[in-house]
Amino acid sequence: MDIASGLLQGFAVAAQPVNLLWCFVGVLLGTVVGVMPGLGPPATIAMLLPLTFLMNPASAIIMLAGIYYGAKYGGSTTAILLNVPGESASVATCFDGYQMARRGRAGAALGIAAIASFIAGTVGVIGIMLVAPPLARMALAFSSPEYFALMALGLAMVVLLAGRSMVKALLAMLVGLWLAGIGTDLFSQTSRFTFGRMELLSGIDFVVVAIGVFAIGEVLANMEGREAAKALPVPKGLRNLLPTGQDLKDSRFAFANGSLVGFFIGVLPGAGSTIASFISYGLEKAVSRRPQEFGKGVPEGVAAPEAANNAETGGALIPMLTLGIPGSSTTAVLLAALVLWGFKPGPLFIGENPALFWGLVASMYIGNVMLLVLNMPLVPLFAQVLRTPAYVLYPLIIGIAVVGVYSTSGSLFDVWLVAAFGLLGYLMRKLDYPSAPLILGLVLGGALERALRQSLMMSDGSVSILVSRPVSAVMLSLALLVLLIPVFGKLNRLRLQAIEK
Amino acid sequence: MKRVLGLLSVLALGMALAVPAFSQSFTPTRPVEIVVHTGPGGGADVLARAMAVMIEKEKLLPVRVQVTNKPGGGGATAAAFLAEKKGETHMIGIFTGVWLTNPLTSAEAKVSLKDLTPIARLLLEPAVIAVKADAPYKTLNDFVAAAKQKPGELKQSGGSITSRDNVVRQQLQKVSGARWQFISFPGGGERIAALLGGHVQMMVIEPNEAGEHIRAGNMRVLAQVSDKRLPAFPNVPTLQEAGFNVTPVPQVRGVVAPPGIPRENVAYWEDMLQKLTQTESWKKYVAENQFEPAYQNSAELAKFYDEFTAQMRGILQEAGVKIVR
Repeated sequence: MDIASGLLQGFAVAAQPVNLLWCFVGVLLGTVVGVMPGLGPPATIAMLLPLTFLMNPASAIIMLAGIYYGAKYGGSTTAILLNVPGESASVATCFDGYQMARRGRAGAALGIAAIASFIAGTVGVIGIMLVAPPLARMALAFSSPEYFALMALGLAMVVLLAGRSMVKALLAMLVGLWLAGIGTDLFSQTSRFTFGRMELLSGIDFVVVAIGVFAIGEVLANMEGREAAKALPVPKGLRNLLPTGQDLKDSRFAFANGSLVGFFIGVLPGAGSTIASFISYGLEKAVSRRPQEFGKGVPEGVAAPEAANNAETGGALIPMLTLGIPGSSTTAVLLAALVLWGFKPGPLFIGENPALFWGLVASMYIGNVMLLVLNMPLVPLFAQVLRTPAYVLYPLIIGIAVVGVYSTSGSLFDVWLVAAFGLLGYLMRKLDYPSAPLILGLVLGGALERALRQSLMMSDGSVSILVSRPVSAVMLSLALLVLLIPVFGKLNRLRLQAIEK
Repeated sequence: MKRVLGLLSVLALGMALAVPAFSQSFTPTRPVEIVVHTGPGGGADVLARAMAVMIEKEKLLPVRVQVTNKPGGGGATAAAFLAEKKGETHMIGIFTGVWLTNPLTSAEAKVSLKDLTPIARLLLEPAVIAVKADAPYKTLNDFVAAAKQKPGELKQSGGSITSRDNVVRQQLQKVSGARWQFISFPGGGERIAALLGGHVQMMVIEPNEAGEHIRAGNMRVLAQVSDKRLPAFPNVPTLQEAGFNVTPVPQVRGVVAPPGIPRENVAYWEDMLQKLTQTESWKKYVAENQFEPAYQNSAELAKFYDEFTAQMRGILQEAGVKIVR
C-alpha cells in the first residue's frame, strides 16, 4: 500500500474521538511516569495490560505507545531540575541540563528538551513511515563485530567528557567498566565480583549508580558549603523561563544530529536509547565551535541527547513491528501485549494489519503534538521547584532518589548501593574526577564485552573479524579519530604558541 | 483417670477429624501475589499476567491477583524472596527450570526449588530447531553432517550456556559426534536477528516465534524438541524421529509457594490451579502459544524436580560448566 493512502487510513483511525482520548491518556501517563525516577514505561505498560483487554486493540496500542514515547519527554525533567536522571536515557541530559538550571536557566533547558523531543519524536515517526521495512533488513546486517565497533565509538567519547585531566577521566571510565563486569557472566555462567551476594548476581543496575553519583553526590557536595546551600536562582517573568531565539539557533544542529543518531541507533536491536543519547552528545561536542563550554550549561548539550532518546523510540518500534524482534524491554512488553490480544507480530504483521499499523503511526504524530502542548505550559511551573529552599529541596532529592531506586528493583540492597555510590560521587567531586566517564564505562562495558566475545567466537578467535567487515572498520576508524581529538587540540595550541613566539 | 484418657482420646479423634474438614476452609482474604523472576514482558511475567486475567475472568479466586516482579540473579532473587516469606499464605510464584539449574552453577543462588513448597506443574514449552530459509540444510541430518565436515565452523545462537538452547546442542553433539559453536545473546530478539542476518546458522526457537518467520518465508524448521509432534508442525520430525536418540529436556513452568505453609493452603492452590487448567480460556491460551499442557500436583512435582536436576547436572557437567553443588 502506498504511504499517502496508508497515512490517510491511519488518521481516520487515530482521529476517532475514543482513540484521541486514549492517545491523550497514554502521553499524559507517559509524561508522569517519565518524570518519576524509577517507575519506567515497561512496568507501567505491564500493569495496564489487564485493562487493555477491555479496549479495542487499536486504542490499546495507541495508548501503550503513548506511554512509551511520552516517558521520554518527562525523563528530562528531574535530570535538569534535580540532577536525578528520571530514566537511563536521560543521564546525558544531566550534564548540561542541570548546569543550565544552576545558572538560572532551568526553564530554558526544559523548553529546549521539550522542543528537541517534539522534533525528534516526529522525525522518528516519519522514519517508521518511510523506511521501516528496508531499514529493518539493513539492521540485520549488523552483528556482534559492528556492535563492538559502535560501543568502542561510544567509549571513545570519553575524551570529550573528560574534565581538566585526561588521566582522571580514563581512571573513572575504568571503574565504570569494572562495575559493568560485576555479575553472572553470560558465556560461562560464573559469578564475577559478587562477593557472595546474591543481589549482585545480575550485576549493578545502572540507574542505581547514576542516581547515586549524580544526585546524591551533588546534594552532599552542596550541603558542605553553607553559602552554596541557598536556593538556585529562578528568574521572574514568563519570558525568562522559556528558551530564547539564540538557544534555538544554538541547538538547531543538535536537533538534527540527535534525531538521526537516535533513530538509526534505535533500529539496532542490541543498542538502546542510553547509548544513542551519549553518542549524540559526544558528536555534538566534537563538531561544536565551543566544546569548552559543554558541561557548563549549553542548550545544544540538552537538545542533542533529548532528541536522540526520543527519536530512538521511533527507531526501536521498527524491528518490533516489521520483524517481531524486540530491541528493548519496553518493546518486549508491547510485543507481549500484541500476542495477548491475539495478533501475530512478525514479518507479516504490518501487511495483515494495515489499519492498526497506520493508526499507530498517525497517532504518534498526534501524540507528539499533544506532548508539546502538554509540556510547554508545565515548563515555568516545574522551574518554580528550584525556588524551594535548600533545607526542603535536598531532603526531597534524596527522598526521590531512594524511592526511585527502590521502586525499580524493590530491593533494599540497591538503596544501600545508591548511598555508597552517592559517597563515591561526592569523593569524585572533591578530588575533581569527572563522573560522566564512569557512567559511560558502565553503560557500554557490558555490551562491549559481549560483542567482543561473540565476535571472537564467530571468528574462532581471530581478531581480524573486527576490521575486515566494512561497517565495523569505518566505525572503529571513527573511534580512533575521536580519540585523537585531544592530540589535535594540543598540536594546535603548540602551533599557536610557536606563532606567538 | 480412665475417663480422662477416654475424653482425651475423643478430643484427639475429634481434632484429627477436624483437620481435613478445616482443609477445605482456607479462603484468601486479601489480594494474592504472584511472584515472577523476570521483569515486565519476560516469559514468566507474561504467563503470570495472563493467569491473573483468566483467574479473574473465571472467578477462581474471591480476591484480586497482582503480579510482583523480582528480577535478578537468573531467578535467585525471586526464589530467595519466596523463601523469606515463610508461612505466607497469600503468595505463589511462577518457576521455570532455571530455578533448579541456577543453584547448580552459582554459589550465590542458595535457594533451590526444594526449599520452597511445590504446588503444581502447569505446562511444558516445546521448541523447534530452525535455520534460515535459504540455508542448504533441509533436515537436521544435513546440518549435523555439515557440522561434522567443518568442526566448529557452524554457529548456533542462544541464551546462556545453561539454557535449553545449549542443552539441546550438547545432547545432539554427544550422539552425533559433530561440533559447532554456541554463541550467547542476552535478548531473544538478538538471537533471531543473528540467525536472520546470517551471522549464525541455527537456533532453538519457540514454535510461535518461528511460525511467523516461516509464514513470511524467512525460516525453515528442521526438527522439534518435544516428545510428540506439535499440531502446527505435523510434517516436522521430533528429535527421535529425525534419528537422534536424545530425551528432550523439557522447558517447564509451574507454581511454587513459600516454605512452611499449611497443608490446606497447598490443597487450595492445587485445586485452584487444576480448575484453571480445565477452563476454556486456559486451553485456548495453551493452544495459541503451542505449549504442552502438563499439569502435575504437588507430590508429582517434587519427584519431577529430582529427575530434572539429575538430568541437567549430567548434561552441564559434560558441557564443561562448573557445578558448585
